[in-house]
Amino acid sequence: MKIKVILGSLLILAAIVFGSISFMESNIEYGDFQTAISSNKKIQVKGEWVREMESDFDANSGKFTFYMKDDNGEVLRVIFDGAKPNNFELATSVVAKGKYENDCFHASEILTKCPSKYEGDTEAIKKSL
Amino acid sequence: MLGQALVLFAFISSLISGVSYYLNHKRGDIVNLNVARYSYHAAVISVMGFCSFLIYLILTHQFQYTYVWNYSSTDLPTPLLISTFYAGQEGSFSLWALYTAIIGVVLMGYASRRNYESSVMFVWNWILAFLLLMLIVKNPFENIWEAFPKEIIQTGPIPPTVTNFLWLDEVKGIWAQIPQEGRSLNPLLQNYWMVIHPQILFSGFTAMAIPFVFAIAGLLKRDYQGWVRIAKPWSVFAATALGTGIILGGYWAYETLGWGGYWGWDPVENSSLIPWLVCIGLIHTMMSQARSGAFVKTNFVLSILAYMLVLYSTFLTRSGVLGETSVHSFVDPGMYAYWLLLSVIFLFGGTGFYLLLSRMKEMPNVKIEHSIYSREFALFLGAYAICLSALFIVIGTSAPIITQILQGKSSAVDTSFYVKTTLPIGIAVSFLAGFGQLLWWKNSNKNKIIQGLILPLILSVLFTVVMVLIGVTEIQVLLFLFTAGFALFVNLIIGFQIFKGDPKYSGGALSHIGLAFLFLGFVSSEGFDRMETVSLERGKPLQVFSDYQLTYVGMKNVDAERYGFMVDVEHGKEKFTVMPVMHYSNYTQNVLRHPDVKNMYTKDFYIAPMSLEESDGKQESTISLLKGETKNLQGIQVKFIDYDFSNMDKTKMLEGGGFSIGAMLEIRSGEKVEQLMPLMKNDGGQVNYIPVKSTFADIELKINKLQPNREDPTKSRVELSFVLPNGNSQSVKLETLVVEASIKPLINLVWVGTITLLVGFIITIVRRSQETRLKSQV
Repeated sequence: MKIKVILGSLLILAAIVFGSISFMESNIEYGDFQTAISSNKKIQVKGEWVREMESDFDANSGKFTFYMKDDNGEVLRVIFDGAKPNNFELATSVVAKGKYENDCFHASEILTKCPSKYEGDTEAIKKSL
Repeated sequence: MLGQALVLFAFISSLISGVSYYLNHKRGDIVNLNVARYSYHAAVISVMGFCSFLIYLILTHQFQYTYVWNYSSTDLPTPLLISTFYAGQEGSFSLWALYTAIIGVVLMGYASRRNYESSVMFVWNWILAFLLLMLIVKNPFENIWEAFPKEIIQTGPIPPTVTNFLWLDEVKGIWAQIPQEGRSLNPLLQNYWMVIHPQILFSGFTAMAIPFVFAIAGLLKRDYQGWVRIAKPWSVFAATALGTGIILGGYWAYETLGWGGYWGWDPVENSSLIPWLVCIGLIHTMMSQARSGAFVKTNFVLSILAYMLVLYSTFLTRSGVLGETSVHSFVDPGMYAYWLLLSVIFLFGGTGFYLLLSRMKEMPNVKIEHSIYSREFALFLGAYAICLSALFIVIGTSAPIITQILQGKSSAVDTSFYVKTTLPIGIAVSFLAGFGQLLWWKNSNKNKIIQGLILPLILSVLFTVVMVLIGVTEIQVLLFLFTAGFALFVNLIIGFQIFKGDPKYSGGALSHIGLAFLFLGFVSSEGFDRMETVSLERGKPLQVFSDYQLTYVGMKNVDAERYGFMVDVEHGKEKFTVMPVMHYSNYTQNVLRHPDVKNMYTKDFYIAPMSLEESDGKQESTISLLKGETKNLQGIQVKFIDYDFSNMDKTKMLEGGGFSIGAMLEIRSGEKVEQLMPLMKNDGGQVNYIPVKSTFADIELKINKLQPNREDPTKSRVELSFVLPNGNSQSVKLETLVVEASIKPLINLVWVGTITLLVGFIITIVRRSQETRLKSQV
C-alpha cells in the first residue's frame, strides 16, 4: 500500500511540474511590436490593419503581407504564412501571433476580431422591414 | 406568449416534480410519487410543446420573433430550416432541454426498476429546471419589438404602403412593423453536418448528466456500491454519444469547413473533449468498482467532475470570456446568463462535493488486496492518465482566464501546449491499454504476463524498426508509435481469443484496438502530412510534391452563388478531378472557401481553394526592384533610382489633403536614356496610380506597390507593373487559381479507429445493460 501512495504522490507531483513548465513555455503573451523586436520570442500583437498601405497575397510563396499598426501606433510589415484570413475586411482589430525577423513580423496565426453579430443589428433590422 | 408560457409551465412542473421526488425519497410516500411522475410528464409535454412551437414558428417564417428573424430565412431548404432551431444560444438550450426531458422518461423507467427512481429523478429535475431557467432568462420567444423597440415600435396612423405590421395597442395607435425576411443561417453552417452534428453532440451532453445524477442518488441513498453497476452502461452511452458528436465535428471541420485538419485544439472542440475524457476515465474506474468494490470515492469524484466540466465547458464557450483569444467570436449572452451558468456550476458541484464529504466517514473502507500487477491498478493508472490529459486541456483552454487572474491581462496558450502535454500521456495510456489487458483482477501470474507479452513486444519492436527505417527520428514520437503498436497487437491477440469464446465480451478489446488505430492515425496524418501552396494558371499543368501533377481546368457554377474550381490531378496512373468551392457570402461579407477531399485507402488528397486571380488579358506583369537595381525587360533596361517624396507635404497630409509619391526610374533602350516617374497619388484617401509611357520604347510602367524603407534606404523597393508591346490583348482572360494542396497519409486510420472505438462501446453498453437487468431480476 505504501509503495502505491508514494508512487501516486510522485506521479501527481510530476504532473504538476510538467504541466506548469509546459504552460509557461507555451503561453504567448500579448505585446507590442517594440517587445517583439527586442524579445525575439513568439508573442501576440494586437492592432489594426493599415488599409491604406499595400496588402497582398503572394501566390508563389503562399504568403499574405499587410501592414499593421499596434496599439502604440507603431506600424510594421506583417508576413502571414497563409491566405488572407476570413473576415479580414470586416475585422475591427487583428491579433497576429508570431516573431520578429528581418525587419518584418512573421505571423504563424492571425485572429480577426469582428464586430459581434449583434452589434450591427439596428441596421440589419431596418433593412429587413 | 404561448412559447414562454410553456417554458414557465415546464419549469414549474419540473420544480414540483423535483420537490415531490425528494419528499418521496425522504418519506417513501406513494402519493407523492404519483404527483412527481405526473408533473414530470407535464414538464416533458410542455418542453416538447414549446420546442415544436419554435420549429413551427421557424417553418412558417414568423419574423416577429427575434430568434426566428436572427437565424432563419425564407429561402433555406427545409432540413436546414429545421436546423436553425438550434443555431443560436436560446435554441441550443431548447434542444438540450428537450433531450433532457425525453431521456428523463427513459431514465425514470430504468431507475424505477432498480429502486432508484425518486433520488435519481429528484436530481434530474433540478438539471431540467436549470436548463429551463436558462430559457426564462434567454427567451427564445422574445418578440422583435422587445429587442428593437426604437426601430420597430411606432405610433400614429399606419402609412398605406406598410402592410407588414401588427397592432400592439390599437386604441392608443401603437403598432410594430414586422421584418419580411430573416437574417438567415451563417453560410458556414449551411450543410448537412449542421443537421446531424449538434443533435448527436447535445444528446451526449445530456447523457453526461446521468453518471452525475446516479452518483448523487447513490450518496442520498447511502448506497455506495450499487449505483455504479446501474450507472455504468449509461456512462458508456454518454461517452459513445459525445464521442460520436466530437468526431463528426472533426470530420465536418476537415471535409467542409476547410480548417485543413480534423482537430485544431480550439476552445469549442476542447470543450466537448474535456468531459468526454473524464467520462472515459470514469468508465475504467467504474469497471474496477463493479468488479472488486475499489475506488468508491474516485467514482463519486469523477462522476461529479464530469458533469461540472460539461457545465464549465458550456460556460467557457457561451459566456464570451474567451472572446479576445479565440478564433471563434463568442457572443456575450448577457449578464444573467453568465452568472446563472457560473452559479449552477457551483451549486451542482458544491452539492455533490458537500454530500460526498459529509458521507465520506460512513463509506465502507473496502479492504482491497490487489498487487501492482493487478488489472485494478492498471485501470487506476489509465484513468489517472486520461483525467490528467483532461486537466491539461482544461488549463490550456482556460489560459485566458488564468492569466487574467494571475497577470491582469489575458493571453492564450499556443496549440503546441496541448501536443506537448498530451503526447507523453498518450504514450502512457497506450502502454496501459495493452499491458492492462494482460493482467488479471487482484493479482496476476507473472509467468502468464510474460508469456502474453512476448509476441506483441516482438511485433511492436519490428513495427518501430520499420518506422525508424521510414525516417521517424523523434524519440517521443517513436515511443508513441511503439506503445500504440503494442496496444494494437495485445488487443488484437486477446480480442481474437475473447471473440472466439463469446463475442459479447469483445467490447473492451475492440475499443482499445480502435484507440490504437486512432493514435497511429494521429501520427501519420498530422505528423507526416505534406502541404504546399501553389498557383495554378488555367490549363497549365504544375508539378506538386514532385509526383503529383495539377491542372486547373476551369470553373463551373454549383448553384447560384457557389463556384466550383475543377482541378485535374494526375499521380502515376491515377487520374481524378477535385473541385473545391468558393463563394462570396453577403452574410459574412467574405469569400467562403470549401475544400475538396479525394479519399484513398492509404491517404487523402486534400485541396483547399485560396483565391482566384484574374488579369485583364493584357500581358501585364510585375517586377520588383531594389534601390539602384536594374532589370531587363525584353531589351529595355529599367532602373529604380529612388523615391520622390517632394510632393509629400506633411501638414497637407494630416489635414487629409492630397499628396503624391513618385518612383524615379531610368529607362534605357539601345543608346536612348530617359527618366520617368510613375506616381502614386492620394487625394484625401482616394488612391490612384498614374502610369507613364516611355517616349521611345514601347512600354508602360505603373507603380504597383510602394515599399520604402526609412531606416535603411538602400533596402527600399518598388514593385512595378508593366505592359509590354505585342501583348495578345483583348483575347483570353488569364485565370490563376491559388490552392493549398496537402496529402494526409493514412488518415483513414483516424476514422476507422474512431468507429472501432465506438463499436466497442456499443457492444459494452449492450452487455452491461443486459447484466444489470439480469441482476436486478434476481
